[in-house]
Amino acid sequence: MQKRWWVFLAAAFLGLAFARGDTLVIAQGVDATTLDPVNHQETPTGNVTANIFDNFYRRLPDGSYEPWLGEAKALDDLTWELSIKPGIKFHNGEELTAEVLKFNFDRLLDPKKPLKYSTYFKPIKKVEVTGKYTLKVYTEKPFPLFLTRLTYLWVVPKAYIEEKGADYFANHPVGTGPYKFVRWVKDQEIVLEANPDYWAGKPKVKRVVFRPIPEASSRVVELLTGGVDIITNLSPEAVPTVEGSGVAEVRSVPSIRNIFIILDVKGEGPLHDPKVRLALNYAVDKEAIVKHVLGGFGVPVGCPLNPYMFGYDEELCKPFPYDPEKAKKLLAEAGYPNGFTFSMSAPSGRYLNDRQVAEAVVGQLKQVGVKVDLRIKEWSSYVKQILNRKLDTDAWMIGWGNAQFDADNTLFTLLYGGTVEGGPPQTKFSYWKDPEFDKYVLEAQQTVDQEKRKELYKKALERVRQGAPWIFLHQQKDIYGVAKRVKWQPRPDELLWAFDMELVK
Amino acid sequence: MIAFLVRRLLLVGVVAWGAATLAFFLLYLSGDPVDLLLPLDASPEARAELRRAYGFDDPLYVQYGRYLWKLAHGDFGVSLRSQEPALPLVLGRMPATLQLAGAGLLFALLLGIPAGVLAALKKGSFLELLVMVLALLGQSIPVYFLGLVLIMVFGLKLHWLPISGYGTLRHLILPTVTVGTFVTASIARLTRNGVLQELRSDYVRTARAKGLHERVVVYKHALRNAAIPVVTIVGLQLGALLSGAVITETIFAWPGMGRFVLLAVEQGDFPVVQASVIVFALMLSLVNLAVDLAYLWLDPRVRYA
Repeated sequence: MQKRWWVFLAAAFLGLAFARGDTLVIAQGVDATTLDPVNHQETPTGNVTANIFDNFYRRLPDGSYEPWLGEAKALDDLTWELSIKPGIKFHNGEELTAEVLKFNFDRLLDPKKPLKYSTYFKPIKKVEVTGKYTLKVYTEKPFPLFLTRLTYLWVVPKAYIEEKGADYFANHPVGTGPYKFVRWVKDQEIVLEANPDYWAGKPKVKRVVFRPIPEASSRVVELLTGGVDIITNLSPEAVPTVEGSGVAEVRSVPSIRNIFIILDVKGEGPLHDPKVRLALNYAVDKEAIVKHVLGGFGVPVGCPLNPYMFGYDEELCKPFPYDPEKAKKLLAEAGYPNGFTFSMSAPSGRYLNDRQVAEAVVGQLKQVGVKVDLRIKEWSSYVKQILNRKLDTDAWMIGWGNAQFDADNTLFTLLYGGTVEGGPPQTKFSYWKDPEFDKYVLEAQQTVDQEKRKELYKKALERVRQGAPWIFLHQQKDIYGVAKRVKWQPRPDELLWAFDMELVK
Repeated sequence: MIAFLVRRLLLVGVVAWGAATLAFFLLYLSGDPVDLLLPLDASPEARAELRRAYGFDDPLYVQYGRYLWKLAHGDFGVSLRSQEPALPLVLGRMPATLQLAGAGLLFALLLGIPAGVLAALKKGSFLELLVMVLALLGQSIPVYFLGLVLIMVFGLKLHWLPISGYGTLRHLILPTVTVGTFVTASIARLTRNGVLQELRSDYVRTARAKGLHERVVVYKHALRNAAIPVVTIVGLQLGALLSGAVITETIFAWPGMGRFVLLAVEQGDFPVVQASVIVFALMLSLVNLAVDLAYLWLDPRVRYA
């Protein structure tokens, strides 16, 4: 007996070669909260469900979208027609029909049991099945964002949920996607297996395992020792270690998140003067910040948007050049030849080296005579101050990840000043009032014609460029550690879609 | 004896109530979690809706009353994050934590007691110095640092052991050493001091004078008496083991309660935090009760009435 025990122990110790083979292991910081693809708001959860389910429209790596499970077209300003690709089946054999898609909409629109994604579909009034694979969607008012919102429509099976219940479904998901659910051991692993009958082709990676590893350095060591293949949120400090390891490498992609400083322009102080705000933009050396503070993991940008977003304009979004002389001149013209002092809030640990970025800005502004009283804030109290408009500083640094990939969610939400009569009031993030800008963004919200909408955003961006309501900084990059055997490029929407991946020798 | 037990169990109830109350008010002070639960651009209506749904808009005493009333009926609320009942979520993670704490304690006893006895018997030798220096190190090294060093050495450099995860005996080794080292060190030092003191006492001289074998003197007489403070410290150290588990579980991706609670705190998941505070408090008070009962067995002079 005792002898056998020792043999077992020895075998356990010697069984070191942890064979991954055909299995691709992905380590994220946290476990999924649910496997219902439309009832969460966390990227790590969405990364798992994106492999099990399909969305009606699919996001492409450049930020645009394309039809995926089917197509939608506008019949008029208030009606859309959806047609589903025939023959798509869920993992349990159930077919995707118009009835099933209607069930999906009804589930999201049920006022009694709202899901986390319900808010994306609010303007929809009614859904009507018109054929086996076609249906009509009626909206209350023009809904130009409908197509981009269809990328949030991760399609779930009707019969399965009706039979097993929503709770069971959330733990044992069945979708139409490239991977089938195998098991979920909470806080340990979620195992998925390739769906050989996937309608869009056979996945190349046979098995995908998601493992939650909360500690960043443990994730790095797992990657270096071959325990996992992909790790998310690699810190810039760990980049040389991974690069030098020989087994893994660093891959990054500009993200949808911009970092900037919102200026409180409503008072009568220096920040009220557009010349001063322009001066601040010329006084900050974005290139230097990206290079020295972010280790190159950023892209300077001169407007609230970035190239992935609908409404972006290359000319109007060029970074303000670093020109301290011009900044000084503008300050003198505005009547502040000796500079002035203002206060600024910034978070710590929320965005890539956020505190250091804020400190660099403070240092650069000092060069042109502007003194900044910097206050670093703990995230939860900072959020509270922002949401209640109770900030105690003249400026505040924040990041904005626009997951809609559309100018509306940034320009309206962050800058709309409420000057339009009969229109909505100023948003809680906006400290700027520009009647012309307000007119353009409101009009864009009612415009289904995408070309016209683009024109309107261009005009709005011109106003932003002249008014400089913020100090524009950079677009942040997402950094991943990836084993060399994995053929894959990270995506701007942070999705870890294994259908995109391949294991090479 | 029965009266003692009943009294102590009542006291456990009081502790649970105290922990529940403390958890409630501390979390209340940390603020309304709705702001953290929703994305920054959520509409004010969505916030108000959620606030209403969870009852955060009621006056404090109403919320507290409802909370206690529900607790009394075994209802710990629903996790704000996953929308599943909080208590089963917490209890489901308990076995992994108990396994880690238990392994840590076993490691500490198996290593700490012999080391302490050895140091006492070889007083003045190099061996004693070595044990004492190691014990001092073990007590002063932060759990977090120790865990990372072990990962670097046994995972990254030597490739001997898995770095994170759960399942096999090999996965248990590094976390066990990490969480158990502090307790091992305390037990070793305490055992040494206890045994030294006992070896100087009259009954040991008598035992030796009777011509008993030295081994019997040390292990049967001295160690049993030296064990009383060790038992106390083991009871107290369970708290250290559990709090060490919070960090250890995070470093090694161990699927236990500690790491789960940490995440719940970060995300403002009140019901989960409250349920785990109460479960932790109950566990510790039951352990203390067990320690008191252990005295009875170890020291016949102790009588509870």
